[in-house]
Amino acid sequence: MGGKIIARRVVFYVGIIAAWQIVFSLHLAPQTVIPSPSDVGQALAKGVYDGSLLYGIGTSLLRLSAGLVIAIAAGIALGIFIARFETMNQIIGPFLLGLQSIPSVAWVPLAFLWFGRTDGGIIFVTVIGALFAVAINTHSAIRAVPPTLVAAGRNMGANGIQLIKDVIIPASFPQMIAGFKQGWSYAWRGVISAEVIFSVLGLGSLLNSGTKNNQIAEVISVLIIIMIIGVLVDGLVFKRLERTVLSRWGPVK
Amino acid sequence: MTKLQARNIVKHFDHNGTPILALDGVNLDVEEGDFVCLVGPSGCGKSTFLNIIAGLEKPDSGEILLNGKLIDTPGPDRTMVFQEGALFPWLKVVDNVEFGLKIAGIPKEERRQISKRYLDMMQLEKFSESYTYQLSTGMKQRVAIARALAMDPEILLMDEPFAALDSQTRDLLFVELQLIWERTKKTIIFVTHNIAESVVLGSKVAIFKHRPSRIKKEIVIDYRRPRLAEDENLLKYQHAIIQELKNEVIEQKKSGD
Repeated sequence: MGGKIIARRVVFYVGIIAAWQIVFSLHLAPQTVIPSPSDVGQALAKGVYDGSLLYGIGTSLLRLSAGLVIAIAAGIALGIFIARFETMNQIIGPFLLGLQSIPSVAWVPLAFLWFGRTDGGIIFVTVIGALFAVAINTHSAIRAVPPTLVAAGRNMGANGIQLIKDVIIPASFPQMIAGFKQGWSYAWRGVISAEVIFSVLGLGSLLNSGTKNNQIAEVISVLIIIMIIGVLVDGLVFKRLERTVLSRWGPVK
Repeated sequence: MTKLQARNIVKHFDHNGTPILALDGVNLDVEEGDFVCLVGPSGCGKSTFLNIIAGLEKPDSGEILLNGKLIDTPGPDRTMVFQEGALFPWLKVVDNVEFGLKIAGIPKEERRQISKRYLDMMQLEKFSESYTYQLSTGMKQRVAIARALAMDPEILLMDEPFAALDSQTRDLLFVELQLIWERTKKTIIFVTHNIAESVVLGSKVAIFKHRPSRIKKEIVIDYRRPRLAEDENLLKYQHAIIQELKNEVIEQKKSGD
């Protein structure tokens, strides 16, 4: 990334904060509704200093990782299963599509009934939010594998699990990444939604308590953190994965 | 000794739900050390026949015997060089060459020795750490040949491996492949639609007739090696094959393909 782009981005963020400050200073909105940038900055600093924000980040990320690992493992398995048995796909394909269309937050009541206000309930929401997106994307990634690659693998003696592990999964991996990306964003929504409603630790629960105590600056500071985590995960995990793939497969034709 | 026998291979294609008879009892004997080229009009099923030998497709009836033993599954004793190379883009060149050896459970050190031998043979030693997208089409086919040879197969199967190459690269590979064939004494079955290619490479050319297909005639090319593509003495063989194929092309036109 060039220095020019970074400079432009800095200008963009400074611009947003300046506009925000102007709205605040000119009383364009009630100051009880929109706090000043420095109020939010203070809330951020306080959250970091007293540990509540860091603890919230840690808790949410732990739940996210647990849920996402399960969702990706199970989603790949399910995706391979329906890719291998076309009849299975014909039978349960539309069902999976329907499940995928349910927003993560809609699972929260069921998770509450099944698991109570526990980590398990939140992880359930995370898994179920991401699972079907990963499965459906894995399925289409596998279907897009050139048949000659599979033929070449079989020709050299690979079959069964070895064929899946050494040919089909690596061959479909670049396209699977799209599914992981979608899965991660659904999972992240799932964690935060469940935490807001369950209100047991984590960033979501900080949003909830901030609202209850009418601490708007605190609520906005948590939103900023959630956003930053999103950008970091994309940059540190997915951009890196994509770069690795690109270095092997070459530029996409 | 007869290396491979195809007995009465019958195969139907599925064409929008209607089965079309593609191979109508193909018989072929391949002797140990033969270089057999299969030529025929496009769509005659010669590639399908090769896939059946490889075990990648099943015939509707008939059998393939390798060293007298019935085979009906894919196996590294019959490795294939595919038209587009079919290299694995997620692996380096050296790991592509070692893929089948790894599947066979051969230890790493031995794998390295074997892959080095064939990478050297194909003049690829400098590219062993490259990924496949960094190679030209001709290089990719060299890797594919090295990968197939690394398994030390009983028979090397080649499905129009040079069809996508420019003519200079192809002429070069003609010579190389003949040298490799003489050096390794491999039995090769080579599918092509290019008649000139078949007479340069083959010790025997089997001509497929139009669908429903079987082998119409086998022509022995008894001529010194390494043969060059431009050698005029090969023309008489080409003419003989063209003469046989002429009627097939007319048949093909009639059937509206």
